[in-house]
Amino acid sequence: MIGIELDNAKTMEGLRELFASATHDASAAMCRWTNGIISVTLDEVRNAPLEAASEVLALGDELLTMVVIALQGELGGNLILLFDEVNGRRLAASLLGRSAPTEPEWTELEKSALMETGNILGCAYVNALSRLIDQELRPSAPYFIQDYGASVLQQAIMSQAALDDRLLICEIGFHRKGERLDWRVVFVPTPALQTAMAAALHAAS
Amino acid sequence: MSTTTNPATQESLVGMGQIVAAQPPRQMKAIVGSCIALGLHHPRLKMGVLAHIVLPDSAGRGGTPGKFADTAVPKMLEMFKQAGVPTQNLTAKLAGGANMFGGSGPLQIGDANVEAVTQALRQAGIRISAQDVGGNRGRRVTFECEEGQMIVESAGLPTKTL
Repeated sequence: MIGIELDNAKTMEGLRELFASATHDASAAMCRWTNGIISVTLDEVRNAPLEAASEVLALGDELLTMVVIALQGELGGNLILLFDEVNGRRLAASLLGRSAPTEPEWTELEKSALMETGNILGCAYVNALSRLIDQELRPSAPYFIQDYGASVLQQAIMSQAALDDRLLICEIGFHRKGERLDWRVVFVPTPALQTAMAAALHAAS
Repeated sequence: MSTTTNPATQESLVGMGQIVAAQPPRQMKAIVGSCIALGLHHPRLKMGVLAHIVLPDSAGRGGTPGKFADTAVPKMLEMFKQAGVPTQNLTAKLAGGANMFGGSGPLQIGDANVEAVTQALRQAGIRISAQDVGGNRGRRVTFECEEGQMIVESAGLPTKTL
């Protein structure tokens, strides 16, 4: 790993605390956005082997609906919000004040509602990371995509894969009124951002 | 990390950076976006090898050979040789190399992967008999060892058999 020892238990614990704090902010933002219906919790911060990434994340080979936000620049990364088709549309419908989707295909309004959800989550994480490393991070506009989850993950992890055979992955789970939902967020920081995070954690300890 | 094989379907999932060799009735499967699924097949001895290539160039680094185009192809040939299968008359099929986030998205690695795999095959003297590359969609690829067929499924598009 370049500049960061993720096998170091202390560093991993620091990263878990960081992402738990960021997830707390993200959950508060999601509660406001969904009128208290949806909350999020930190599931895991993993240092997983490259070849096992899809399996570890249980992405399978089915089509998923995703919103991707890229952190642009050297201190970058990708945040992917993953839904199965039914639940993605259900969330979009509920955000638009409907009990169920009204059209057979995704409407632009539904896509927009889902992208805004990604934006709200993404901003909560970006703000937390920016505070930690004391540097500005630049998130892209959200990108809506329907495809195989593993295909999208591949593109998201390229900058990590170029430098290492292992990946740092942060997983977040969703809950509706306390019930766990099959939606997930995966955040993959670039090696440079990992290094900056680790340096900030060491400086703070 | 070893591959996962479903005993019912005799299908092995080939993860990123992995290379798997098989013979009938076993099939190999990979999900690729910007990565490349490269299948080599010996038609007479009915052996297939599938690599899930992630990046174009190892730049001399060690590590997992299946991860890079320039190290994956020699490793695949070595696997044929180890199985006693001559590396002449191999056919190559490839799928993947998409730019998943479109032309304006982050990291356009798909095109570079296609070019690097093509170059590595040319250097090894292996002809590409069919390919389905580029675009901005992911692909579910199944490679069977009897005829060396590569079945490519993409969201919203008809299934192709290479």
